[in-house]
Amino acid sequence: MNPGTLLLASAASFVASIVAGNRYARAWLTLTLTGVFAGLSAALIVLLGTTDWEWRSTLIVGGQLVFLRLDGLSALFLVLVSVVGGAGAVYAHEYWSEDDYPTSAPRGRMWWSGLVLSMGLVLTIVNGLHFLIAWESFAICAYFLITLDRQRRAVRAAGWLYLAASHAGTVALFAFFASLAARTGSWELGPLRDHASLAPLFWLALFGFGVKAGVFPLHFWLPDAHANAPSHVSAVMSAVAIKMGIYGIVRFSGWLPMPAAAGWVVIALGATSALLGIAFAFAQDDVKRLLAYCSVENVGVIMIGLGGAMLAAAHGHASWGLLALSGALLHVWNHGAFKALLFFGAGSVLHATGTRTMSRLGGLWRTMPWTTGMFAIGAVAVSGLPPLNGFVSEWLVYLGLLDAVVSKGPAAWAAMPAIIMLAMAGALALASFTKAGALIFLGSPRTQAAAAAHESGRWMRLPMLTLAALCIALALVPVLFWPAVARAVNAWDTSWPPAAVPNSLTSIGRTQVALALAAVAATFLLLHKVRTNGLRRGLTWDCAYAAPTAHMQYSSGSFAGIVVGWFAWILRPQGIVRRPRGLLPLKAFRIGHNPETVLELVIGPVSRVIVQASRTASRLQHGNLQAYILYVIAALVALGSVAWLAGTP
Amino acid sequence: MAGGYTVNDLIRLLLHVAWWLLLAPLLPGIINRVKSWVAGRRGPPILQLYFDLARLWKKSVVMSTLASPAFIAGPAVAWVAVVGAAMLVPLGPAGALLHFRGDVLLMLYLLALARFATAWAAMETGSAFEGMGAAREVSYAILAEAAMVAAMLSLSIETGTVSLTTMLAPSAGAGAVLLAAGLFTVLLAENCRVPFDDPNTHLELTMIHEVMVLDHSGPPLAVILHGASVKLLLFSVLLVQAVLPMGELSPTAAPGVLLVGVFTVAVGVGLVESFLARFSFRRVPLLLTTAFLLCIFAVLVAWKGGAA
Repeated sequence: MNPGTLLLASAASFVASIVAGNRYARAWLTLTLTGVFAGLSAALIVLLGTTDWEWRSTLIVGGQLVFLRLDGLSALFLVLVSVVGGAGAVYAHEYWSEDDYPTSAPRGRMWWSGLVLSMGLVLTIVNGLHFLIAWESFAICAYFLITLDRQRRAVRAAGWLYLAASHAGTVALFAFFASLAARTGSWELGPLRDHASLAPLFWLALFGFGVKAGVFPLHFWLPDAHANAPSHVSAVMSAVAIKMGIYGIVRFSGWLPMPAAAGWVVIALGATSALLGIAFAFAQDDVKRLLAYCSVENVGVIMIGLGGAMLAAAHGHASWGLLALSGALLHVWNHGAFKALLFFGAGSVLHATGTRTMSRLGGLWRTMPWTTGMFAIGAVAVSGLPPLNGFVSEWLVYLGLLDAVVSKGPAAWAAMPAIIMLAMAGALALASFTKAGALIFLGSPRTQAAAAAHESGRWMRLPMLTLAALCIALALVPVLFWPAVARAVNAWDTSWPPAAVPNSLTSIGRTQVALALAAVAATFLLLHKVRTNGLRRGLTWDCAYAAPTAHMQYSSGSFAGIVVGWFAWILRPQGIVRRPRGLLPLKAFRIGHNPETVLELVIGPVSRVIVQASRTASRLQHGNLQAYILYVIAALVALGSVAWLAGTP
Repeated sequence: MAGGYTVNDLIRLLLHVAWWLLLAPLLPGIINRVKSWVAGRRGPPILQLYFDLARLWKKSVVMSTLASPAFIAGPAVAWVAVVGAAMLVPLGPAGALLHFRGDVLLMLYLLALARFATAWAAMETGSAFEGMGAAREVSYAILAEAAMVAAMLSLSIETGTVSLTTMLAPSAGAGAVLLAAGLFTVLLAENCRVPFDDPNTHLELTMIHEVMVLDHSGPPLAVILHGASVKLLLFSVLLVQAVLPMGELSPTAAPGVLLVGVFTVAVGVGLVESFLARFSFRRVPLLLTTAFLLCIFAVLVAWKGGAA
């Protein structure tokens, strides 16, 4: 079928689902899933075929002809939007149901459809003005989704911060698209690599899209927004919405001529985001904040790959640039799959216990075996460990960078630090997810709420199972997904030759299958051996202490303590300590808090200065007519003297 | 790996597996023998670990009431990961069982998978001590990982390749001493030897790796101990091949040289343990950072060496 027909059907279903969402939950779900499948099929047809889809209509919006295009790159992102858009809709059907949230559930459904639709438009529109309209509607839909539960103060604050940050980025994008239109004489977008004078505009795009992508240090809005949103919204925000920022950066780094420093800046931003993002993640005690900071890390991984590709393009090394970029783009999919899975898992925990604080959880594997299993799969994947999918894309990025080092060009000096920082970020991710998985699911329950948890229903389990299956498929047969990624890479730089599947990727795929089988077999053999030898249950060994309690278990702060100390220069941990006093101390505690450093140390003070200045200026506005007349006269005199001074030779 | 398999391939496979799985438990025996020799004791038999493994394999298991089946799965997965990593490491001119471009990263990440599985199993018990051990293990690993990657980078630059078989074939050149010192320090840290960890201590508070496996018993403990010995052998083989031009030796001499090299490393570990006390935990990051810097200098030397 023609991708155009499918996209039209998809858009129509989404418009219908916005209307239906207000009343009819089942109809909304059906329509949304129809739209998602239609969009997914269109994207796959373009990705696996050889031709792009274009539609130049005679329809005029805002004085501009509507012009849509779906090429390899936008189709790759459309696949992600469709998959997570559909999975989240199914999840929300139970998680944010009418029974629990009678007023906000209908609103949530409508904004969800709006969000998915506008993200689809962002990906297909190739006109600057229309792009801005779609971009803004995407930001607004996301805002209303984040603030669904607006009775809570923290939610409103997070939503407001998101809106403000998002618009700061949009201002830069307005400037970007307007200057682009002014210099090329048309709002239409497309490859403009031969207009060398456009190169500086890339910095505007990098800032505007970087805010949305959550690149360090523009990520300051992200942890609050992603943690306080309902979990299905957090999933779509973290897995998909920030990728729209990535899409923008990838798109325009492919279309525009690049300033000489662009590749270096992007790879440096990526390496910083990766290492610091995950250091912040490790310090968190709120599981959803941890996941949000981890998204900053993964955006960093993608940016490292993209930066490597930009350097390769600048210095004419197609072979390793191709590997780095395909790693980055595959990571877009991989991160989408496992991050949505992890947020759904965290949502199930929140649903069952009412808390996101890991130090109040524990021992959930007994009552929530499905969620535990799914979260564990997500944890292995996000830590970039074989045999799951996170490893495959990180490995491709690594391989691209290693080839850059071995070829000993100038790009090696960017690639070497990036490799080392990526390795450290990987080890930190492992630490963070050991901590998250262990504190939430293992050991004994630390509170009553954790002890009384219950497994979530099938509407929440189904999307988790689907995403976990996707993670496993991406991990075990990466060769299957290579053509799609290669096509997207080809859309980024058409001068690079179409890439065949690298032999080493085939080997990685086979090795991953062998490893997975061996791990499963070894587990079963050992379990069998233990059963035949005899198994006795006993108390955990606690240095011969016979009555350990749940509160003696390691907590979040203690687990991360060593690393928080290393990164104290940027994490700025705060804590209130009351040490045990006297011979028979009754009370002692330590309350730790890890602030968002950029927000509290940079954005906060700067905004306070701005607010203070505006307050001072507003004193001029007091309603006193005589004083206003005085202002008018003063202004006239000032203008007159300027004109007079300018007029005299 | 493609194509038909011959009897020679089968023999090669068996020899590799035998080297890694059967030889590995000898190493802790050698280390203990060196320690007892320096201290003037008789010490346990060199084959003690083999006896221990056989004994543990037959025993029944005591498991914490809090632990899930993943408590047993953890050691199994960790063992598979370490042995999988070993299959990627070449044995002199015999090469590795499996090699492809970028396999060095798979090896590093398989060792990380083993760490994840071990830490996960440790956290199953809900014990504060095992939490402490897991936290230390995953934290210090960040620095060890940086040092390992830097070491591998220097080998890549030196040889201009990104596969372990070709990276380890020649000697590390001018940076060999730096690389050897760096890798030896990482070996001590990653294999929980003095001065990072004390495998013989009886105080849980001072342990890293050993405290993570406190609650394990019977066959799972045997699997853990065997996996640890394979990991020690892996690091020793890596160290020997990074320094010596193993790939350039004749196929008859190479196994002997490799054996002597590994034996030397084990004796070295034993001597370090005999003459050095465990460092306080505050100094562990410092030592690992030193190892990292040594490897970074090896990278720079390799870079300059190639340019000259």
